[in-house]
Amino acid sequence: MTALVRFRLAGFLRTGRALAPVLAGLLTLGILYGGGRAQPAEAYGVSAVVLFPVLAWQTKILLDVEPDVQRRLALVAVGPAREQAAGLAAAAVAGLGLVMIALVFPWLVGGVTGPSLPGERSVPAGVTLGLWAHLLALPAAVALGALASRVITRSAGYGVAVLTLGAVGALVFGFSKSIAPWLAPPLLPTARALVGPLPWSTALLLTGWALAWAAVVLTGYARARSRRA
Amino acid sequence: MWLEDVGLRYNRRGPWVLRQVTVRVAAGEAVVVLGRNGAGKSTLLQLAAGVLRPSRGRVLDRPSVVGWVPERFPADQPFTVDGYLTSMARVAGLSPGEADRTVRRWLDRLGLGPFRTARLSQLSKGTAQKVGLAQALLRPPGLLVLDEPWEGLDAAARELVPQLVDEVLTDGGSVLVSDHRGETVRLPGAREWTVADAAVVERAPSDEAAVAVVELEVPVGQLPATVARLRAEGHHVLRVRGQGAPPEATRPGAGPPSEVAR
Repeated sequence: MTALVRFRLAGFLRTGRALAPVLAGLLTLGILYGGGRAQPAEAYGVSAVVLFPVLAWQTKILLDVEPDVQRRLALVAVGPAREQAAGLAAAAVAGLGLVMIALVFPWLVGGVTGPSLPGERSVPAGVTLGLWAHLLALPAAVALGALASRVITRSAGYGVAVLTLGAVGALVFGFSKSIAPWLAPPLLPTARALVGPLPWSTALLLTGWALAWAAVVLTGYARARSRRA
Repeated sequence: MWLEDVGLRYNRRGPWVLRQVTVRVAAGEAVVVLGRNGAGKSTLLQLAAGVLRPSRGRVLDRPSVVGWVPERFPADQPFTVDGYLTSMARVAGLSPGEADRTVRRWLDRLGLGPFRTARLSQLSKGTAQKVGLAQALLRPPGLLVLDEPWEGLDAAARELVPQLVDEVLTDGGSVLVSDHRGETVRLPGAREWTVADAAVVERAPSDEAAVAVVELEVPVGQLPATVARLRAEGHHVLRVRGQGAPPEATRPGAGPPSEVAR
């Protein structure tokens, strides 16, 4: 399966299409950090929110770069379960690349600052929490991107619609007065939680929520794939 | 391998492309799938290969290694011939060393050597089709599914396809081939399935023994007489070819140069 992951990553990186989401990510981060300095954990929490649509879009691009017939050839070679898993894994690896850029970026442009008052989080703690926040967003974004990919939506219009609705929904249902917060992955709740001290129970709850959300969407993807090669 | 009561439709409200198909192909057996355009030949082949899952029924005892040659090779990929085939060999589970050796062997055998470093997107249709053949044979397949394999191939490669099929059969594999141009006369002894009206019908085996194709070389001068004599003896003359074929008028009794008489 790792061979197929590498093959798909190579196919993605060798076409110029890999550049688009990276540029979009840099642009988004540039706007985010253009305003001033913030504590790392807080800044990263917001960064994970704004990167969510970019990560989902990147996943869709990665999965859609491969021609349909080539996807079927891979399916014949490794079977349906591993073919699907390899696509998701390739998207996750590409997403990790973008997450790493997002973690490094604010230090390059001076968008974050170390603790200035006693009692504030240390820089390593802030970066660790930032990594955690991005890692919560990544599975959900991969799941949404997979659901929007051509093999499921078949037409470009539906694909964009799924992507847009998913990204907008994640924000709308994520506001603090949301009527149905469980419909969205916990992006905004995580960002809010990172502003103050973060109890373990909250961290566990948010992690479980993010994984459960991704699992539900990925189950939908797998079910849809059983009828679509 | 069995297809048991298999039905397929592409959408829940769509028409049945295939309905209640029960067919069996044994190890060492070749089957030619015939049918007009759009009858469902490719669909049947993709069900057998495991690309499509049946909407009804099931496919049983599919060999673990399947080689599928799609009707059109997806050449729109950013890889060289060598790079693509090596990656596919690794995907199929070969070790790096095995992958290199296997790919080199198939490049030589299919005459792809000169195109080793060419990009897939720059290949002609026939050359791309050869890459499609090669990727299906990287591991010796227990089931080889060929969708119109002769399409776009040059004369030398056309002769190669029956050899490849033979090798898979000799190793105890099964082969399914679709064809709409009568090229399958090159596969004597193959069973014939015809796809029509969402059903698959096997051509009833005639009382006679299986048919074989004999290629004869005949001096041009004796061609008309030989053809006439063979016909008189009750043989089907499938095709007469060759650049030195005499003009029609001097060949009473023989058909046009490339007549197919079946």
